[in-house]
Amino acid sequence: MTVNELIMSAGPHIHSDADGRRIMLDVILALLPASIAAVVLFGLQALWIILTCVLCAVVSEFLFNLIARRKQTVGDLSAVVTGLLLALNLSTNVPLWQCAVGAVFAIVLVKCAFGGMGHNFANPAITARVFMLMAFTSTVAGGAIPAAVDAVSSATPLDLIGVEGAELPSLMDMLLGLRGGAIGETCILALLLGFVYLLVRRVIHWQTPVIFVGTVFVCYLIATGSVSVALYEVLAGGLVLGAVFMATDYTTTPITAEGRMLFALGCGLITFVIRRFGSYPEGVSYSILCMNILAPWLEKWTRRKPLGGV
Amino acid sequence: MKKNISTLKLPHYKSTASCQAVRMAVPKEVLLPMNMHSGQEAVPIVQVGEHVTVGQLIAREEGRNSAPVHASVSGTVKAIEPYAANGRKTTAIRIESDGKQERCPDLKLPQPTNLDEFLQCVRDSGVVGLGGAAFPVWAKLAAAQKNHIQTVLINGAECEPFITSDHRVMLECGELIQKGIELLKQFLQSEEYIIGIEKNKPDAIEALTERFKDDPAVKVMPLSSVYPQGAKQVLLYNATGKVVGPGQRLASLGVIIINVTSLVKMAEYFATGMPLVERIVTVDGSAVKEPKNLIVPIGSSVRDLVEACGGLKSEPGKLLFGGPMMGKTVATMDASILKATNAIVIMDRKDAKKSEPSACIRCGRCVAVCPLGLNPTAFAHAMELENEDERAAILQKEQVSLCMECGCCSYVCPTHRPLAENNSAARRFIRGWESAHKEGGK
Repeated sequence: MTVNELIMSAGPHIHSDADGRRIMLDVILALLPASIAAVVLFGLQALWIILTCVLCAVVSEFLFNLIARRKQTVGDLSAVVTGLLLALNLSTNVPLWQCAVGAVFAIVLVKCAFGGMGHNFANPAITARVFMLMAFTSTVAGGAIPAAVDAVSSATPLDLIGVEGAELPSLMDMLLGLRGGAIGETCILALLLGFVYLLVRRVIHWQTPVIFVGTVFVCYLIATGSVSVALYEVLAGGLVLGAVFMATDYTTTPITAEGRMLFALGCGLITFVIRRFGSYPEGVSYSILCMNILAPWLEKWTRRKPLGGV
Repeated sequence: MKKNISTLKLPHYKSTASCQAVRMAVPKEVLLPMNMHSGQEAVPIVQVGEHVTVGQLIAREEGRNSAPVHASVSGTVKAIEPYAANGRKTTAIRIESDGKQERCPDLKLPQPTNLDEFLQCVRDSGVVGLGGAAFPVWAKLAAAQKNHIQTVLINGAECEPFITSDHRVMLECGELIQKGIELLKQFLQSEEYIIGIEKNKPDAIEALTERFKDDPAVKVMPLSSVYPQGAKQVLLYNATGKVVGPGQRLASLGVIIINVTSLVKMAEYFATGMPLVERIVTVDGSAVKEPKNLIVPIGSSVRDLVEACGGLKSEPGKLLFGGPMMGKTVATMDASILKATNAIVIMDRKDAKKSEPSACIRCGRCVAVCPLGLNPTAFAHAMELENEDERAAILQKEQVSLCMECGCCSYVCPTHRPLAENNSAARRFIRGWESAHKEGGK
């Protein structure tokens, strides 16, 4: 019981069980159903894509930290999340070497170059996908048809909506993921399972995904007057994947609750505009990227007046 | 419309809630520091070798917001020595006890007839904010000379984990609470007396509701058991819907907040003539063998209290004066129990360990949890800036000076960043910067 044995430190002296690594682990766990669905639907090639992206993301972060003499951060699992998210956003048409390039781009240029976790202004997986869309347009745009589906056309539902005479998959098939697209975006049920898990674990709030998806739905309902078109638009493409897992990224979205809601609203509007009026069938990635850039301003505009302050 | 103040649901750890306060054996000696209150230090008026009795004035107040110190044991003044165990350096009077606890013969029952005399009596009692703030109670009540105090808010929230000393006071000293309120009614002539108590103390709520059931001026208000329910701004808002604005004083809203134990100790002085010489202290924490509520002479050493609790069951890692959220670490078991020490928490080595911080992931939990709606990450970013003027501009805009250092932000941070610590560093910086620039401008 000597003097120097007692620890001196600033308060508080207890801590909640919240932990950064645990949060990343929760996101990985939440992506597990979608990852399994990807392999079931699209075969072993999906597994190779996932492994390639995750491995390249982790190794490139490890090497970057080594070369830049930064503190090693691969243990925080965020590189795994980035690799996994990127993989789930790609289709089986993308050759593995392109997947690797995308993963390295996401980690080194989008994340590490800006100072690592917490400092990047844009979502690494999204930015890498947009980069790949431009660099490898022929393989990244569009989506492969799941092995489990009799291929009628290689076009994705988003390409087909509005095309006269085109045969759309049933809504049940859309929920199960029996349609063309990126490996992780098609099985809506698996994504919703992950969403519920993240809510239960209090990793994300329900507002962002619900407002994002809701905005797209309402816009289409107003624009087309058709509930079924609006439903297809919501279930098709990468909307649910993006809304649940990428528009909720902590680092690249506003820190305030009100800011996050505006962020989601903006994402929904931009997605609608790109899908409806743009030349691309898909707008989720671009919408999130645009709103990432706006995030600091949203944060500023939604600053609360402190209690007892001005 | 009433806003919902963000708060935290903390584990309560109130294992001593049913432990009736027991009087500790008179310690062999006490060491009474001169800075047990928030203002200027008291000045010793006794000599080494002098015989003193319980309640005898041994140090007079001096200067702004000071408070007198009274002997808490009878015996001989052994030394007047430097003391720094509780942080700030000061002087302390060491009294060797003769074990007789002889009452000072000069003590008289105070009989004030008007507000000024009443305030002088409270001043003589040496009572300060006993919930931890240690601000002299008379100085707080003196606001009644300028503003009419309509509402007296009696703080029995006790939102910090572990601590149950206010809880025990509310259960065991109901009569003195009543006496205290009668005194305030007589001299402050306030219309409304609200006793705010967290719902995790249903027995205290019940007992006081019963006691005041025939008094329409007194309202016992059950509050949700969330942290920091007992903080000034939070309690004020939840109990009255009022907010202290920037640069405003609580009294200008016609409200004063007084801790329930302070009220009781003040009333005790008027009932017995004995100034503040002892208090109830919760002793708890994972290293303490038998957690207890003890009535101890002010100036007793932590070691004496631990002994009265059966000693330690494991190696101590951290000694806290106060609760685990806002309590301060103290480096030695020889430290004295101060007037405002409501609890001693001794954590074992495992509980005392802190996780290493890592980079902020901008999850926003600190912003969402802040009871005042501040942005702790913005303070952290500002403090990383080299340019002091830029740093000050951000800190002023984000109003860091409002921060009450409740610690909620640090508590919830998943990357274990020392946000609360940074907030207090930022507040210190901005105080220094502002005073330097005020002088420079003149």
